[in-house]
Amino acid sequence: MIQSASLLESWTQENNQLASGCKDGQNEPNREHNLFRQRRWSSDFHKLLRKIQGIPPHLDRAQLELSVVYNTCVCFTAQSQFDEAELLLTQTAQRLLQIAGDDPGTSDPSVLWRTALKSVTGTALHRRVLSLLCLQWGVWLAKSRLTAVQDFQEEMSLLEAQSGAVWNDCRAETKEKISNIPILVLDPRRLVDLLKICTAIVQGAERLTEGWSVLSALQAASASPAPRALIAYTHLLSGSCLAHMNRPQMALQCYRKALETDPRCVCALYQSALIYSRLENSQAEIQALRILHSMLLLPSTTEPAMAAGRLLSPSLFLCSQSLSSLLSVPSALSVLHSLALKCVIHSRVSEGVECYLDLLAALQSEDQHGVHAVVSTLPKLPRLYLEAGAALLMARRPADCMALCDEVIGSTLDLLPEKVLLEDPVARRVAGSGEVTEEAENGLVRLLWTAAAYLLQGHCYSQLKDWKQAVTHYTRCINLLVKVHYKDTGFSLQIPCADKDPEQGVDLCVLQRLKGLSLAGRGISFAQIDRLREALRDLQLSRQAHPEGVSARRWYGEVLWRLDRKQEAAACWEQTWSNPIPSLSEALPVYAQELQSGPLLDSAELHQKLQELGPT
Amino acid sequence: MMEGRCAAESWAEFGLLGKSGTPLVKCGTGTDVFICTGGEEVYVFTAQEKTLRVSPSYTLGESSGILRMGDRLENCCCCASNVCKSDLTFHLFGDQSFSHDAGSGPTELKISTECLVAVADRASSLLVVGSVLLTLCRTDASWSLTLYQIQRTSQSDPCDLLASFSLPLVSPKVQSDAESRCVLVCVYPGNLMPASSPPHPLRSHYPLQPLLFRRLFGAEAALSKSPVVLCGLPDGRLSFLPLRIPGSRLRILHSLEQSVVFVGASAVMETDAGCAGCLIALGKQGRAVLIRAGRAGLEGGGGTRFTLGCVPGPVECACMDQSRVYYSTGSDLLMVDLWDGSSGTAGRQGDKEDEASRSNPAAFLTPISLNVSGVVALHQPTYSSAGEWMTPHMDSLSNGFILFSFRASVLKTIIRSKNQILKQLNQVMNISFLLSNRSESDLKPVRCRGSVRWSRLLQRDSLNLTCVLENLSPFILERGWTLSVTVLPLSCPLEAGGEASSVNYSFPFSGLGPEESVEVSLPVATAGDASFPVTVTCSLLFSLWRFLGQEEATAPLDLQSACFSLPLNTLTVDWLDALRLSDPPAPARSSSSPADLLQGFISSRQLRCRGGGQASRPEEYSARVRVSSELLRDALGLAPGSPRVSLLEWLLSEGCGGVKMERKGIKTDGSSSVICGSAPDNATVKLTVNVEEKTKPLVTVEVQVKSSSVAAVCGLHHAVMRRIQVWEASSVGVSSGQTPPLLLRVYQQLRDGPLLIL
Repeated sequence: MIQSASLLESWTQENNQLASGCKDGQNEPNREHNLFRQRRWSSDFHKLLRKIQGIPPHLDRAQLELSVVYNTCVCFTAQSQFDEAELLLTQTAQRLLQIAGDDPGTSDPSVLWRTALKSVTGTALHRRVLSLLCLQWGVWLAKSRLTAVQDFQEEMSLLEAQSGAVWNDCRAETKEKISNIPILVLDPRRLVDLLKICTAIVQGAERLTEGWSVLSALQAASASPAPRALIAYTHLLSGSCLAHMNRPQMALQCYRKALETDPRCVCALYQSALIYSRLENSQAEIQALRILHSMLLLPSTTEPAMAAGRLLSPSLFLCSQSLSSLLSVPSALSVLHSLALKCVIHSRVSEGVECYLDLLAALQSEDQHGVHAVVSTLPKLPRLYLEAGAALLMARRPADCMALCDEVIGSTLDLLPEKVLLEDPVARRVAGSGEVTEEAENGLVRLLWTAAAYLLQGHCYSQLKDWKQAVTHYTRCINLLVKVHYKDTGFSLQIPCADKDPEQGVDLCVLQRLKGLSLAGRGISFAQIDRLREALRDLQLSRQAHPEGVSARRWYGEVLWRLDRKQEAAACWEQTWSNPIPSLSEALPVYAQELQSGPLLDSAELHQKLQELGPT
Repeated sequence: MMEGRCAAESWAEFGLLGKSGTPLVKCGTGTDVFICTGGEEVYVFTAQEKTLRVSPSYTLGESSGILRMGDRLENCCCCASNVCKSDLTFHLFGDQSFSHDAGSGPTELKISTECLVAVADRASSLLVVGSVLLTLCRTDASWSLTLYQIQRTSQSDPCDLLASFSLPLVSPKVQSDAESRCVLVCVYPGNLMPASSPPHPLRSHYPLQPLLFRRLFGAEAALSKSPVVLCGLPDGRLSFLPLRIPGSRLRILHSLEQSVVFVGASAVMETDAGCAGCLIALGKQGRAVLIRAGRAGLEGGGGTRFTLGCVPGPVECACMDQSRVYYSTGSDLLMVDLWDGSSGTAGRQGDKEDEASRSNPAAFLTPISLNVSGVVALHQPTYSSAGEWMTPHMDSLSNGFILFSFRASVLKTIIRSKNQILKQLNQVMNISFLLSNRSESDLKPVRCRGSVRWSRLLQRDSLNLTCVLENLSPFILERGWTLSVTVLPLSCPLEAGGEASSVNYSFPFSGLGPEESVEVSLPVATAGDASFPVTVTCSLLFSLWRFLGQEEATAPLDLQSACFSLPLNTLTVDWLDALRLSDPPAPARSSSSPADLLQGFISSRQLRCRGGGQASRPEEYSARVRVSSELLRDALGLAPGSPRVSLLEWLLSEGCGGVKMERKGIKTDGSSSVICGSAPDNATVKLTVNVEEKTKPLVTVEVQVKSSSVAAVCGLHHAVMRRIQVWEASSVGVSSGQTPPLLLRVYQQLRDGPLLIL
């Protein structure tokens, strides 16, 4: 018995040494890598535990054993070794029941814990068992087993209610005889607080669509004492919930609150940008994206700052899928791209150009930050180049645009297929395999890049009023585009819409657009050098390829007018009168849309001409 | 810098031999060479011929890579669980006194956890591209390529993880033997090596012809001028990852279907101008693939040509200079000239020849042996700083030699000893053919002669056989041969159970040249307990242990298979040989001493008892053999004057398979010659040869054996008969193979029934 007592004493001392070393180690500067420290701690505690559990469980040693189990499990959890922690917890519950002589005859953890709790009610062990249950709660949360957590809601609330009294009691006891009480590495009350808010957050994220009930739970959680980052998450979730309830303005308020609570909560900013986009408030959206981008470039935002100096990081428990999708923010480069695109589309061209140039520079630079996002929403690189080129063209910087296009052409030209065979989209859909045609599609995509680059170069030359060069480049574009054939000859050349066939539809739509635009461009160039017949032919073909092309139709009228077919011209003009050149949209690449970069026809002049014609 | 070009340092001097794993050799700055043996330690060989041992202070697994980062030299140990780095230059050159204090012995450098760069479990390969550290790890279900940002500012923080890409394992079975390393190399479009790279281009970094680059990795990679990482995996897949393209993933370029050992790039065409126009990958079993750009504009999209080929494997390691690939099979260093083969010409001459080389993959890649064996690691030759390849072939080659010359002298001795062994083995084979090809009757060129002599030692008489091994062959019996002599009594005393047990003696000897002989001596019998005749079988043994060197003690090789024996001739020691001759007894004293008398008495008593208790006094038994004296004269060529003496001499000589014995005291009187002696059982024996003329016209010679011991009479009679029979067989032509059993039967009958007297 004496030996047993001394063993108990020495084990307690060992535990206390380890635990105090662990507590000191957290505050120390980063002498040793965190991971190694944690590995060492958990293996040390585990060794001690195996010694203790090597002998049958006994009431005298239960206090120490439960404390060491607690410490070991905290270390396991800190290293995301949840399975090991759970196994240990279950074993401990079983040993506890051995002491009590109960046998629930099951290994179901919830039954085990209920029985174990019942068996120790009113004894000194009760609070230790509660703290272990607390860890089990953490493991369930980390493994997203929310039903298990909910089952124990009652016990949890008991935990919360008792926590103050019980652990205050515990502290008094600690003061009394300091050496005999095993020290815990983490105050269970802190753990309870952390788990409470994490549970609220995870549950909120899972049941975001449920409306008011979730909202009130989140609001309640936001008042609890917790790290700022977690409070910010509750606000963010409230905002998302409100957004689901179709209350965008209130949602924006919540996002703002989240940002005020924790300035590093970039996801709130991103969600705001999405809301602005939905509200079509482009200026606010651009502003939000701009701030978001500059915040993402700060190094501190990318790393979870809340883990600093603490044994258990909240991120361990926040691994539910819906939450992480809500918290995810696109990479800085993606944000920069959407910012640039938004600027260009919403007629802030010079800003857009700057953003594009920044983006290209970032992609070329050796600094790899942000390039390797898990999911990249960035379009392919040649497309980025072409979009930037289009922006430069719109900003009247044709030389820069041409340089970018040259790069695209240089890198794709010798990869182009001799010809591209497209199957009937209907048949393709029946076959239902995208992989078979992947190579052909790649060929098509490359061909479209090169053709678009030639088209932009043609635009550049026409902007420079070098009509011959313009004709040359438009012709190159057209020559490339006619390499695309349809396999099924019976297949009518109807213009597919992007929304009908999302896979190939965009490409085919771009193909038709490019055809229309290049023919129109060449027609206009021909008109400028007074080769009206060729101009008429090209413009006519352009109208066939892309009936919505406004400038092609106007110029068609102009050429007719010049050919002295004034009635036809007037009819043509009147037809186009009602619809102005459509503004840019995000559905298609910018370069496949009408850029208004070429020579424009003065509408007043047209009116005048029509009026001249009118009386006759 | 390369004044040490011809220097050869034995690796053994560094005590590195006996380490497991393939060594990995990398060049540092100047003349420093890092050697990884796959253990926990990294060795640095400096020009001062000092070995510095780098040993991590905590237990780590295998170190498999060293890298140079930027213009500073840093050492990265890639360990089973961690990647750590330390700034070696500081300790090596910045702190000279430190290494001098340590004397000539290896200096140990502790690497603490502060040097931890990244935690990468089971990392099997490392590469640094610009400011990114790449590790290739094998997880349970996939290969994962992880990118870390190397931070220069603070040493203590681990690197930021940038991204991780994974490629599923093909099948666990293929991977199970995947102890081999992966290959990680980086290729750049054109001459666009990163600006921050050191003046000397690094190993594993190749500038690639822009056209080939575009065709292989697509427009995106070309447009972003992104470095592309190529991974050669042990399952044979060659996968690539463009580093700077957002959303890029690991894709497969080709599959060699055998473990990729080497990936390199080479300038095949003169027009390549510093860029490599050809990518080459070598598999462990020698499969090779050459990847070049096809003719421009012939076909769209995939205008790359994959030329498959084979080189004699296995490929242990390889490196390449401008257009040659050097690879080691472990036993030979081979060179493949990419210029020379049809591959070089095919590049210039259109596609017909290309088709030909594609259909006949073995047509290209004909390696030339450089006659350097046992190369375990190769390092790429150094380039000049302008990014051009150093052209002189010898230069590049000798750069390589410096590195593998660590082992050259050790290997030389190994080869020398191997040659020696082969020579010896040849001798052994010659001798064994010589000895085994002859039939039994032929005289073997290596044989034993024997002579017996009684000697008295410690009051005990024993019969000693002296065996002389004669080498009459033109070959040398080298060290390693053993003469084995087995002494087997044909019968043994009945008390011993009737079962004869043989005694084996072996005498190792060291070298026996032609016409030389060696003499060994062994006891055949002691007086009293002798059982004659005794067959002495001589054979030569050779043990293959000799060739296996030191492992003799450890390897439990089957003894039977490890050694082979070549039978020589067989000698017989019979009663006649064992006869102790003495002067003919004076009639008064038939026995010399009371002890002898007593012995004689007891023997005769025994015999009598066994015989059924016949007579009371010791009686004389006798046996006779008659031989035609003419026959004797003709066939034996005995001196006509005294045939009796001659016959006796002949009987006692070693002429017919017997052994030589000391000879004295043949007494001749009138018509008979007599010798007296005592048999091994101490019975007195008298051998008389008479010429009997009464049976004319056939004059016969009669040999009479007389003794008080029936055993002696029988034994001697058998001995005489055996000699005559053997002689008869050899001269008349009776098959000798049949007689001895017959004789033996007769003898044994005699022995068993002592009263039956011929």
